[in-house]
Amino acid sequence: MPVGADNLERLEEEARREIAAAESLQALTEVRARYLGKKGSVAGVLRSIGDLAGEERARVGQLANATKQRIEEAVGERRGALERSDRDRALDAERIDTTLPGAEEPPAGHLHPVTRVFRDMVEFFTSMGFSIEEGPEVETEYHCFEALNIPEVHPARDEQDTFYVEGGNVLRTHTSNVQIRAMTGRTPPFRFIAPGRVYRHDLSPRHYPMFHQIEGFLVDEDVSFGDLKGVLYAFGRHLMAREIELRFRANHFPFTEPSAEMDYACLLCDRQGCGVCSNSGWIEWGGCGMIHPQVLENCGIDSDRYQGFAFGMGVDRTALLRYGIPNIRLLFEGDLRVLGQV
Amino acid sequence: MRVSLRWLAEFIDLPTEAELVERLTLAGFEDVEISSTGPDLSEIRVGLVRECGRHPNADRLSVCRVDIGGGELIEVVCGAPNVAAGQKIAFAEVGTVLPDGTKLKRAKIRGVVSTGMICSDRELQLGDDHDGIRVLDPEAPVGAPLPEVVSIGERELEIGITPNRGDATSLIGLAREVRALFDGELRVPETEPPETGAPASDAIRIEIDAPDDCHRYVARIVRGVRVGASPDWLVAKLAASGIRSINNVVDVTNLVLLEFGQPLHAFDLAKLSGDVIKVRRATAGEKIITLDGETRELCTEDLVISDSESAIALAGVMGGANSEVGDATTDILIESAHFHPSRVRVAAKRYGLKTEASYRFERGVDRLGIGRAADRAARLIAELAGGEVAAGSATAEGAAPSFTEEIRFPTDRSNKLLGTALSKPEMAALLERVGVRCTDAEGEDLLCAIPSHRTDLHRHQDLSEEVARIHGYDRIPVTEPIGVLRGVERPRLWRVAESARDALVAAGLTECQTLPFLNAEWLEALQLAADDPRCRTLRLVNPIREEEPLLRTTLLPSILRIVQQNRSRQLGRIEIFELGRLFRTDGAPSQWGGDLPRESLSLVAALAERDEKGLWEAPNSPPLFFKLKGIAKKLLNQLGYVAWFPSASLPPHLHPGAAAALEVEGVVIGSVGELHPDVATAFGLDLGCAVMELDLEALQALPQREVQFREVSRQPSVRRDLAVVVDIDQPAGEVLEAIRKTGGKDLISVELFDRYAGKGIAEGRTSLAFRLVFQRFDRTLKDEEVTKSTDRIVKMLAHRFKGELR
Ligand SMILES: [Zn+2]
Repeated sequence: MPVGADNLERLEEEARREIAAAESLQALTEVRARYLGKKGSVAGVLRSIGDLAGEERARVGQLANATKQRIEEAVGERRGALERSDRDRALDAERIDTTLPGAEEPPAGHLHPVTRVFRDMVEFFTSMGFSIEEGPEVETEYHCFEALNIPEVHPARDEQDTFYVEGGNVLRTHTSNVQIRAMTGRTPPFRFIAPGRVYRHDLSPRHYPMFHQIEGFLVDEDVSFGDLKGVLYAFGRHLMAREIELRFRANHFPFTEPSAEMDYACLLCDRQGCGVCSNSGWIEWGGCGMIHPQVLENCGIDSDRYQGFAFGMGVDRTALLRYGIPNIRLLFEGDLRVLGQV
Repeated sequence: MRVSLRWLAEFIDLPTEAELVERLTLAGFEDVEISSTGPDLSEIRVGLVRECGRHPNADRLSVCRVDIGGGELIEVVCGAPNVAAGQKIAFAEVGTVLPDGTKLKRAKIRGVVSTGMICSDRELQLGDDHDGIRVLDPEAPVGAPLPEVVSIGERELEIGITPNRGDATSLIGLAREVRALFDGELRVPETEPPETGAPASDAIRIEIDAPDDCHRYVARIVRGVRVGASPDWLVAKLAASGIRSINNVVDVTNLVLLEFGQPLHAFDLAKLSGDVIKVRRATAGEKIITLDGETRELCTEDLVISDSESAIALAGVMGGANSEVGDATTDILIESAHFHPSRVRVAAKRYGLKTEASYRFERGVDRLGIGRAADRAARLIAELAGGEVAAGSATAEGAAPSFTEEIRFPTDRSNKLLGTALSKPEMAALLERVGVRCTDAEGEDLLCAIPSHRTDLHRHQDLSEEVARIHGYDRIPVTEPIGVLRGVERPRLWRVAESARDALVAAGLTECQTLPFLNAEWLEALQLAADDPRCRTLRLVNPIREEEPLLRTTLLPSILRIVQQNRSRQLGRIEIFELGRLFRTDGAPSQWGGDLPRESLSLVAALAERDEKGLWEAPNSPPLFFKLKGIAKKLLNQLGYVAWFPSASLPPHLHPGAAAALEVEGVVIGSVGELHPDVATAFGLDLGCAVMELDLEALQALPQREVQFREVSRQPSVRRDLAVVVDIDQPAGEVLEAIRKTGGKDLISVELFDRYAGKGIAEGRTSLAFRLVFQRFDRTLKDEEVTKSTDRIVKMLAHRFKGELR
């Protein structure tokens, strides 16, 4: 039988067909042995070229070797493919249901919304060098009112809705009592914040007898209402995490002079008016002013030499607005369906 | 306060409503609002009739095409004879609610669809004219809401006045404020009465027996009046301010009160006995029937007006029935006085009588305006009720009230306070606007004369507020404070509390906050002993709920109630905590001094669950007690403490067999345990519940231990497991501790890793399995050394605990 290029071509064609048809590594090994083994077809061709003339023998030998190499490559490719599909099958068998929930062990707990907002506020003011000061919730009328220029005989006292404790003390109606306690016996300059719980005798749809305030005050020789505005703008930007617009309205607080109420431009409607800001475009934020000289004097501070600012704002309202909670009662009724969301 | 805007405009020209509201709000008045007494027509719009043609099927109807600025013309059928193309009209779109409450619908009228309505006065409730539609000003902007182009009803100003601004509680006061903000000329009404009668001082004598309580008393007399109904204009003005009309005489006194802010009172002169009016303190037990019909027993702190026999008025608060002006009254005495603010305030509070008069006296009336108001009233009474005004008035003076007439105002100091850079003349100009007369003084100072109606201006800071108010707070530049840098101080208790919150949230608990009020029954439900310090509570005089008058001495009731409420919301697993102050009167001194209670920060945590296992939860998750004990241990570790759990000193609310005390540094600072079943029942709990209490205040007083590094060995360790069978009631903790002590220094850790009773273990016995690890620092341990140690342990177990190896 003449040995030639035609033969080799046919051989290669057959080998490729069989390689492609091999469905397992085992079958592929057998196919390879059949063509490339010592007793395989290609070896047979090489053995048979001994009969050919020198020039022809070299040519066919070259062709046969090239064919052998190509078949070897085809086997390698097929082996890779078979190995990959085996691997895929094995991985597929290990498939889990990834739509099952992640294991939260232990299940997530939640800080109270008021705690979260307090932390945010305290973080800001401590970064500005304000120290934290606390005061009593059951307070004397002196520290809660009289020292703050709110005597019993003054109509301003009527705005306080006070809880009275048997024996003559009161539940503090604001954190401003801490001003008196912190300033008495200290020499300026100093700056404090007083975060805390306060009480008003008022249980109505929009009010709760207990709420939270943060009071801040700074006393120095040269500190102005402009500085107060600067601190409050910076605080507002921190708290709302964006540029804000503040509005200062004159108001009357017996313990500051001048006094102002501050509002911030409603973040939901950009002053266009919406349900959250009662269509006014502004949201009441708190009260502020320059500490009344009489208050400084009540604390033993020379009001000719020193002056200072003070501000106080509600915490609960900020928490309600931040988390979109519609009513302050929801904060204090312990409903885990509510508290578990924040 | 509420006033008619039209009336206010009699005193000064007003700016636009929007400007008025804006500036008054910024200048210190609260909740300023202008509203209409008429119907709400804000949905009605100005429309332009573009085309108007005959209705194809009805002679008397027109079909109009109206432009209301929306781009498309709206076709409506109109029955009015006066409708014509080119008119501006009041248009109601489909869906508008008309003043009579009906909602306008699309209608088919004789075959033509009408999408809206052109309104007549009657439909708008602006009048009775139903013959034709209302034709508007040709200049009215198309699409504008009707109230912007047509005046509807009476416009009223509602304004909140802060307690320092007694001077603004009147029409003239508000007009002065408008002048300060917008300029303009103040128009003060005529006060001079026509004096035709004999001198008042011949008829009556005034005696002030309590000079500190009454600065000045003026009485005018009008004889021969005809008491009757007031004219409509007077009734309307009072009604706008919420004052009911009584008769022409009383109405005049109220009108002048609103005009000038000076309360007045009219007495029936004929009903007074003697020819003297006395201003004196009441005698103890003296009685008066006030105009509201109530009999009031007075005390010596009360100031009264009396005739020669008895009290005829509670000064500054309310008149007496015995001297009331009625239909038969002909001669009247008008009182205008200056009573001491706190004297009036105390009486008004004592008798629960907040009147228009007391409201103004409390805030301080104009000490120089007393006579003027009496004059004005006499003039108006003569005008409206006839009669002869007696010449002059009977007056008396008491002690001068405390007031400030002049303030030295350092403008440089004011600029420093406000952060402004206003010049001296600018400051003076601003103050002049509020009626403060300024004269130049040396340096940067101004001498400021305070008008008598401004009883609130005493110090230069008060004037700075006026400067800021009129200049505008918004015009004060925003600056940043410059100051001493100093390290921030945080109270230690604050830091401990914050760390505790973090640790508990990390353990899966949710923070609650509750009202600190207690019901006495809740304390009983905790089974506290009678002498338990927590039963010593403070009580509120005016609790918000009658049944919860106590300030809390424990957080347990509130947290148990929250567990119960969440349970009733069908929650199967409740893991919560609360931090709150306890108000103790058990003898512990207050940290704030004085007679205040001690306020101790306490922490309470509760775990409650029904038998509901979560998806990933281990099938043998620990009983609640152990879960909470583990949380307590970890919490205290994170706070820098090592917790011990002795079985002694257990509080009565816990299950005596499933609870432990919480001890740190030898001090008991709390407890952890399952709830006593009786307590659980008392709080309505039908599920397992474990609670932990921790006195954070006591805890923070104990020394924290910073973690110290311990050398780790490079030598290999040897592990041995040991299972020993002991009596079932033998506390495992004791066995573990004994092993630790017996193992010697090479035993570096012992851990209980299994506890088993049941098949293969004798009745009444239990198997405890311990994992022991031995290790040295200097060399590898030999097997026989470890065996020697474990043999010693096994012997000890057999001897002390009757322990048998398993
Ligand atoms: Zn808004």
